[in-house]
Amino acid sequence: MRVGSYELKLKRRLTLTGWQAALISLLAIVVALALFGVIFLLAGINPFLAYKEIFSYAFANPYGLPLTINRFIFLLLCTFAFIIPFRAGLWNIGMTGQLYFGALGAFAVVFAFGGRASRSADLPLVLLIPLMLLAAALGGAGIASIAGYLKGKYNINEIVVTMILNFIAFWLVAFMIKEGGPFMNPGGRGESFELPTSVYAPLIMGVPITLFLALGLAVLLYLMFAKTRIGYQIRAYGKSPAAAKYAGISTFRIPVLVFVMGGAIAGWAGYHYFAAVPGVYKIPRNYGFFGDLAFYGIICGLISQGNPLAAIPVALLFSGLSIGTRFAQGKLHIGFGVDYALLGVLMITLVAFQFFYRYKIVGTKIEEETIDVGVSR
Amino acid sequence: MWEFLARSLEASTIFTFAALGELIGQRSGILNVGIEGVMLFGATLGFIAAQSTESYLIGFLVGIAIGGLLGLLHGFFSITLGGDQVVSGMGIWILGFGLTTYIGNPYTGPLGLERIPTIFGISPFFYLSIVLVFITWFVLSRTSLGLTIRSVGENPAVAEVSGVNVARTRYLCVIAGGMLMGLAGAIYSLDYNPVWNYNFLMGWGFIALALVFFSMWNPWLLLGGSLLFGTLWQLSLNPQLVLPGLLSRYIWRTIPFAITLAVLLIMSTRWFRTKWGAAKPEALGEPYIKD
Repeated sequence: MRVGSYELKLKRRLTLTGWQAALISLLAIVVALALFGVIFLLAGINPFLAYKEIFSYAFANPYGLPLTINRFIFLLLCTFAFIIPFRAGLWNIGMTGQLYFGALGAFAVVFAFGGRASRSADLPLVLLIPLMLLAAALGGAGIASIAGYLKGKYNINEIVVTMILNFIAFWLVAFMIKEGGPFMNPGGRGESFELPTSVYAPLIMGVPITLFLALGLAVLLYLMFAKTRIGYQIRAYGKSPAAAKYAGISTFRIPVLVFVMGGAIAGWAGYHYFAAVPGVYKIPRNYGFFGDLAFYGIICGLISQGNPLAAIPVALLFSGLSIGTRFAQGKLHIGFGVDYALLGVLMITLVAFQFFYRYKIVGTKIEEETIDVGVSR
Repeated sequence: MWEFLARSLEASTIFTFAALGELIGQRSGILNVGIEGVMLFGATLGFIAAQSTESYLIGFLVGIAIGGLLGLLHGFFSITLGGDQVVSGMGIWILGFGLTTYIGNPYTGPLGLERIPTIFGISPFFYLSIVLVFITWFVLSRTSLGLTIRSVGENPAVAEVSGVNVARTRYLCVIAGGMLMGLAGAIYSLDYNPVWNYNFLMGWGFIALALVFFSMWNPWLLLGGSLLFGTLWQLSLNPQLVLPGLLSRYIWRTIPFAITLAVLLIMSTRWFRTKWGAAKPEALGEPYIKD
């Protein structure tokens, strides 16, 4: 193809540096936002105005910013839950089910110590909160380990299994909190009992402590992949399970391990959203909504290319976008679900941009030819 | 009881159409995990088209057309661009989930058209699905086109050398497969349960995906599996029809999924594989890039 005096050609990439990957990801996000602007145009709204509203509400508004931070913690944890199996070449799309099980685990601890009936639990906070975190991790890891076990032992497609587990977990939460289930709200509103005020996760400067958990995990995971033997084994398995097996890496242990780790972190995402976000502190009736949000974990994981540190800015951007879009939807009177539409547009743009991880466009300048018109001067 | 059986057969019909679409694509070596997204698109756009034109025919045609288009898109990503088929399928799934929520929301509620007449108490699509299973089986195992498709799914490099156009064959299969998935979605929202609601499929697409693995890529086994899962699904929706008062209805909802897992597990054991064998297309999920 010719553009001006340049000849454009596709060339296969032999290597992809971190910076190139980051640039491609950034470009994908910009193109997705531009495409999404078309949706605003179709709804009769100036896209620039819409984006201004979205970003100013998400990042510069005293009501919007805390929401963005809470969602950021959630998205970051979901992203890690996706990334760890992803580095091993496996797809965890079961964050939804894992976070529900994590939430059920955390609530089970409170339930066991009489927190459903009374407004206070029997145990001191310093014991109860670590117990809740432990139970949440166990819940998430427990359900995820099924996918890891079936993959490692019988090579059953982990996408099908994690998705099926999502639906099983969804209906189990429904059973637990509705129609006389054990965790039902005594007031019977189709949601879970409210956590006693004494077991609320502590806030530091208005931010739940889970923020430090998520950021700490980012560093730990980065070090694990970069420095440790197990991180190396996970990456080797991701490159080629057959070669990894030849090198003496257990092709059973790795899938189980990555799903257990991913599931535990997704369980904490469940703990965070139902037990640490101010104003929630229960499993609300529309809990399906939190499961859908876990899709952003897939997107953040793909954009950050499995890098736990790169996931931080990406998750922050998307939490702001989803919070801001939800707000803009009300303020600018756009149809319901515009934030979901954003999710879809982002994902498909990202898929298209995968192409540029393998190919690049090279422009070479065409030499100006002297034009012989056959007239002598 | 009769009504329960009829509803089960209708649920099976949807699984059959969707899974047949997936099977055709997989036989040519293309894995489409975005089946739930394609179905959501077919269901939502078919619903909107039928409601606004008051014509079932247009609704189904729109469902088929959008399915074919999404098949084409998946083909473009995974055949022409040579991308990861799982990434592309995921993209289509999340795109379907996101966009249909936005587009369909103003249409939330019942379709409001007269129901499609039944034949002997069962939706006409049930009979059509059996015809299609026969056609798919016949084409795949008794015609030269079928041989071409299977060879492309087994070893595209060899097929290419023997004069087969791999890309064209695969495009044909993903587009035809997408059309069947889109139709399956439209049957759901126009015939099986004509009410639009946000994310209303709740896992039909993923069960259909599991069904293809279950069928060992054989259309007749796929039909058998669809009947099994259709019945289980229906049972989980109306447990009180068959076993009143036993277990919470929410627990019943998990049962089709749990049994799907159990069936996949049995299918994957060494005992089963050596006894029955599986015809998994060798090149499934691998991009083929000509050099």
